[in-house]
Amino acid sequence: MRTWSSGARLLLGATGLALLVIVTPAVAGPLDGPGAQKALVCSACHGFAGNSRGDTVPILAGADAAYLKKALSDYAGGRRPSPEMEPYAKMALHFGVDEIVAYFASQPRQATPVKTDRAAVQRGRAAAASCTVCHGADGKGDRAKLIPDLTGQPSGYLQNQLLLFKQDQRSPGDAQLKALKLLIQSLPDETLADLAAYYSSLR
Amino acid sequence: MTQLSRRDFLRATAAGVGLGAAAGGVLGGCAAPVKGDLARKSGRRVVVIGGGWGGATAAKYVRLQDPSIEVILLEPNRTFVSCPFSNLVLSGVESIDTLTFGYDRLRAHGVKVRHETATAIEPDTKRVRIGEGYLEYDRLIVAPGVDFMWDQVEGVAGRESTVLHAWKAGPQTVELASRLQALPAGGVVLMTVPPAPYRCPPGPYERACQIAWYLKTKKPDAKLVVLDANNDIVSKTALFKAAFRNYPNLDYRPTSKIERVDLEAREVVPAIGDRVRYDVLNLIPPQRAGAIAIQGGLADTNNRWCEVNHVTFESPKRAGVHVIGDATTGLPVPKSGNIANATGKICATAVVHLLNGKEPPVLAPGNTCYSWVSDREAIAVVNAYRIDNGKVVQIEQKLTPRAAVSVAQNSIAWRTSIWNDVLG
Repeated sequence: MRTWSSGARLLLGATGLALLVIVTPAVAGPLDGPGAQKALVCSACHGFAGNSRGDTVPILAGADAAYLKKALSDYAGGRRPSPEMEPYAKMALHFGVDEIVAYFASQPRQATPVKTDRAAVQRGRAAAASCTVCHGADGKGDRAKLIPDLTGQPSGYLQNQLLLFKQDQRSPGDAQLKALKLLIQSLPDETLADLAAYYSSLR
Repeated sequence: MTQLSRRDFLRATAAGVGLGAAAGGVLGGCAAPVKGDLARKSGRRVVVIGGGWGGATAAKYVRLQDPSIEVILLEPNRTFVSCPFSNLVLSGVESIDTLTFGYDRLRAHGVKVRHETATAIEPDTKRVRIGEGYLEYDRLIVAPGVDFMWDQVEGVAGRESTVLHAWKAGPQTVELASRLQALPAGGVVLMTVPPAPYRCPPGPYERACQIAWYLKTKKPDAKLVVLDANNDIVSKTALFKAAFRNYPNLDYRPTSKIERVDLEAREVVPAIGDRVRYDVLNLIPPQRAGAIAIQGGLADTNNRWCEVNHVTFESPKRAGVHVIGDATTGLPVPKSGNIANATGKICATAVVHLLNGKEPPVLAPGNTCYSWVSDREAIAVVNAYRIDNGKVVQIEQKLTPRAAVSVAQNSIAWRTSIWNDVLG
């Protein structure tokens, strides 16, 4: 029989905490926040309270609400082509996107339990100098400019997004992303994998 | 018998003895049947029948949303074996151990898991019978999954247990895998697909791909014949048709409802077309809601599936009784693990609201469904829904454009999160 991963144990820890919080009505728990019920459907892929445990599905907990809202709008509008996300994004817009993104933004983020290769992380750190211009030395991004916090996201998700940018399949024609795409297109795929590992390893 | 099923059996037996001893007060090693109230109800209580994708999710989410509600989950099996991904056990791409979980994490949420079989529902007294005993409930959630309509398969009466369906993941899955491994050179594997609706619409076609991939790789002279009672591939049709083209050893025959099985001659006779001789048979029988739903008067006039309120999942036939997962009908959703999980959460939310005297929120399910068409590539269909005039209606359905490794990787991420959502 299978034993639960360390990531799963982390989740249990958080859930145990949530129970304690829920019985104290003054404090909102993970299922009390605005949008919590509307976001229930999301946990199948994105994990309880938006803390995805998988490698290619992003963690939504603690993400910037405006960034999440733009992402859902882009998925629904086909600007981020994804057969998996497009229907759900339309569903989120139907049920109330502001409540749903506010819910995820208010949840404490647990870094991905998916391990990264140490050598890849080191290579990625060395290659990340250009990324820090926008994402910051700590990888936390800039909320005012809708630049996302990359730290602790699963490396598979980060790598896939880098490849989508490189192939201009994510937000094609978006002027704000032009410099980003030129930079990514100058890098070999192996380096993109290293960058993904590096940012995934940051806390 | 395989190692796994033997181990499971031993585990179940040992634990079963322990349970009998604890509950019945054993004298001379012979457990007396337990009568009367099995656990006196002191506060508000939800009983959940069935610890699969829907029931386990519902039990957990009632506790998460209101820990003052007692939740008792009745599930005869001591382990949860994931049906999604079990087709990959047949091709050797996945192990059954990877798909097998205990219920300990639900207990950590305060769910009282009892490995017992609900034998009857008594809505008038709000009781669930377990043999001679009973449990009282304030709200009952029935997640019985499917049962097989063996009476519709001529030629197997009395010998149902010898025919492998492998449509409930577990020992039968492992047994079918070992029979495929033992298939003689040039052998024929025969799989039959029941008429829709049945559990997991794309499941038979994923299985066909997995078996065909295995034969192509390991048994190059063997072939797979699929007799499909339906007029075409039921789900992800174009994507499966493209996948089937990679398997010249796969002989797919639509509109081939089986009329009779001859277990001695090892032959299946379809209503139309030639009889097929097989070396390994995988017969997926026609299905209906689990027996407890039929007994409890929850099923429709055909005694097959259960109508439900689309927002609360309460049965229109029995107040206070909710039905979720594969057993339901009337919603435009597939009978999938993801839908069972989604409806489990919605139903739990409704039940918590109703027990607290509040109006249940209007929520809709979603469905993400992956099928592996080789040892590394998968396809997917995604459905999103809303509620319109109290009914679930589809917002959109999307399919992946083609089979891809990236889709298979997404399916691994999906299972990691959803197994946690159901049981973690």
